[in-house]
Amino acid sequence: MFGKMFSPEVLKPQIRELKLSIYLLNKNKLTRLSMITVILLIAFAILAPFIAPYPSHIYGIANPQDKLLPPSAKYIFGTDELGRDVFSRVLYGTRISLQTAILAVGLALLIGIPLGAIAGATGGYVDEIIMRITDIFLSFPPLLLAIAIAAFLGPNLQNAMLAIAISWWPWYTRLVRGQAVSIRERQFVKAAKAIGTPHFKIVFGHIVPNCIAPVIVQASMDLGGVILTAASLSFLGLGAQPPTPEWGLMVSTSRNYFLNAWWYSFFPGIAIFITVLAFNLLGDGLREIMDPKTRKY
Amino acid sequence: MRNLIISKKFVFLITVLLVISITLAGCGGQNNSNASGQKQSNVPVQIVFYAQNSTPITDFDPSVEFSNGVVTLNNIYETLLRYDPLEKKFTPVLATDYNKSEDGLTWTFHIRKGVKFHDGTDLNAEAVKFSIERTINLGKGASFIWEPVKEINVKDEYTVEFKLKYPAPMDLIASSAYAAFIMSPTAVKSNPEGWLTQGHEAGTGPYKLESFQMGQEVVLTKFDDYWGGWDGKHFDKAIIKKIPETATRRQMVEKGEVDITRDLPYEDVEALKNNQNLVVETGPSFENLLMLFNTDKKPLDNKLVRQALSYAFPYDDVVKYAMGGYATQARGAVPYGLWGHGENLFQYKYDLEKAKELLKQAGYPNGGFKLLLTYTAGDEAEKKTAELYKSELSKLNIELEIRAMPWESQWEMAKDKDPDKRQDIFAFYWWPDIASPYSYLYNMFHSQDDILFNLAYWENVEFDNLVDEGSRQSGIDMTKAEELFIKAQEILTEEAPAIFVYDKQYIKIFNKSLKGYKDNPAYPNVVFFYETYREK
Repeated sequence: MFGKMFSPEVLKPQIRELKLSIYLLNKNKLTRLSMITVILLIAFAILAPFIAPYPSHIYGIANPQDKLLPPSAKYIFGTDELGRDVFSRVLYGTRISLQTAILAVGLALLIGIPLGAIAGATGGYVDEIIMRITDIFLSFPPLLLAIAIAAFLGPNLQNAMLAIAISWWPWYTRLVRGQAVSIRERQFVKAAKAIGTPHFKIVFGHIVPNCIAPVIVQASMDLGGVILTAASLSFLGLGAQPPTPEWGLMVSTSRNYFLNAWWYSFFPGIAIFITVLAFNLLGDGLREIMDPKTRKY
Repeated sequence: MRNLIISKKFVFLITVLLVISITLAGCGGQNNSNASGQKQSNVPVQIVFYAQNSTPITDFDPSVEFSNGVVTLNNIYETLLRYDPLEKKFTPVLATDYNKSEDGLTWTFHIRKGVKFHDGTDLNAEAVKFSIERTINLGKGASFIWEPVKEINVKDEYTVEFKLKYPAPMDLIASSAYAAFIMSPTAVKSNPEGWLTQGHEAGTGPYKLESFQMGQEVVLTKFDDYWGGWDGKHFDKAIIKKIPETATRRQMVEKGEVDITRDLPYEDVEALKNNQNLVVETGPSFENLLMLFNTDKKPLDNKLVRQALSYAFPYDDVVKYAMGGYATQARGAVPYGLWGHGENLFQYKYDLEKAKELLKQAGYPNGGFKLLLTYTAGDEAEKKTAELYKSELSKLNIELEIRAMPWESQWEMAKDKDPDKRQDIFAFYWWPDIASPYSYLYNMFHSQDDILFNLAYWENVEFDNLVDEGSRQSGIDMTKAEELFIKAQEILTEEAPAIFVYDKQYIKIFNKSLKGYKDNPAYPNVVFFYETYREK
């Protein structure tokens, strides 16, 4: 497959498609901005422990003599109630938030896509059963469901991640199922069926790859939502535990000090804001590329 | 470019929504304050507003409540006596005087005449007997304080006699902040079971229950027939409300909407000290913080490890930064100011070298173990304490996992049937039911068949004997009792089933116009509203 892709006659349309994508990504200013932001965030996430000015503060080493200092040259985002550098912690928080978001969305996709594809492609009772279960999950607001699950599993970051995944997968199931139902009737699926391709192979070899585009759009937009939900859970004490430099937890703690130390809640808050916005706008941009109907060129 | 337009619209929409919601939220706040402001100015009643972070009450049954309801109940109900632990003096309340026999086994209380219950019936010796027996028979909450009582006899209409199994300080017990309330037998008997719990009351106190919202708010209004009378300056109404956000509480007390509040971060307290309209009052409290070690579990079953961990604790930093200096390092389990506090007891000091040496002796030369510390979610002081401790322990290569839990879950975990699933360290506050060292030593460290508060799961026969004997002696000879309690604490500090962190100071912030308030550490956080009044 790969060999073929790089042979001259196949390469051209691939490059054309790629060039088009880049062109489209670049054309919209907001998308370009969000793309740059996301790349920067990923870079921060990877490099955080190396570029943070006070790496020991990340892991909770306290430095109480310097508590609640306003932003200065020494601590550019100020310090928290135990004298830790807010900048180092916000920086490392990027890694925690991205990690949580990617794992939670990944897990939700892992549950949601196969279930949706099977339901859509198979139809009948299987479809009914899967979709009714999905409906049950969908009938709860996702944050509320996540809170309940996190409270039940016990408060820590892994459980928060799991709780988010469990409350998120039904959205993907429904999305994929809708796509699968329409793809099921397409000629190439019928052809595959006619030559006796096993059902399993049709579902995962033909249907899933063809409904992935809207899923990617949805997932990239959801990353923002998931970061927000994870922060909310931590804010409520159901996610990360102190002294983890998780943004939601930092905002939650800083509530007690914000009348005297605005910087402590402001910087983690703005980090959440920028990240969520960037993923949302990126998702918007991706939809434009993936879905030819909304393209304008 | 369509998408850009959509996005712009989207951003605009969000902005508009944000502005609207902020405006609405602001209006809501303003409306509320207007409403209460109007009440205060138009209606000629004097209202006192007490805002705190804890629920005003958890159970309206005065025999059962052993929690935050101490504030509410002590204004609705009264006890026979009230104790002032700083002056070591008893004030008569429902009892006018009392005496005890030579052997300390018979105590006679003379009941005040002319006292009316809120249901209109009269207080008499029979009602006292009924109330205390009801508390004992229900066996809930702090009912254990009556343990020494063998029988209660009504001598005449206004005289009650307590016969004890062994000598005990009945005057202290009768003035307990919990489980010593006197209630109307008529009201309790004529109503179905659970009537009190559902939010009714039958006390003699200066205030009766006007309305309440469970978990949120209690409104008290004056009881016209209160035996103390309403001459002089008093408040007609009192509101006790839970306001969990510290910033909101601070703003409300600054604006004068709230008269009294507590539990603000120390940074706020410092800022409020400069406010001309407010008084920040601090004083000794009998509340202390302990880190209870799970002495059942490895490696904390080893005394040397526990001692090492006691040396590794940053006492000074915790007092300075977690408590903003509003505390002192604890010396033993009985707080400073209460009798039975050992001034010459051994006190651990922060010393990492010593800790390393002890760990080496215990067979953990390089640390290398993990401990789980649980604390009550939302408690800033506990959180900071835990984080400061974690920071020190990491220097010994000991990993401390800090877990914030709702009190119920923390409690449940501590009682898990499987000892291995319990926490290693429990951040625990104690404040007294009866103002005696016995309350601290017995509840937290005396061996218990069914674990209640002994969350160190610690057992020591010698200690038990000293505490039991101390309790007996406190009914006869306080000096002797004090010696025994201090001796018991010598064992405690040596065996180190807990880190004795700090004795807290109370900080109450109140409006300058509020007068007559006096903190009494035997009744933690209680404001006796009847004693307070407003003076511009």
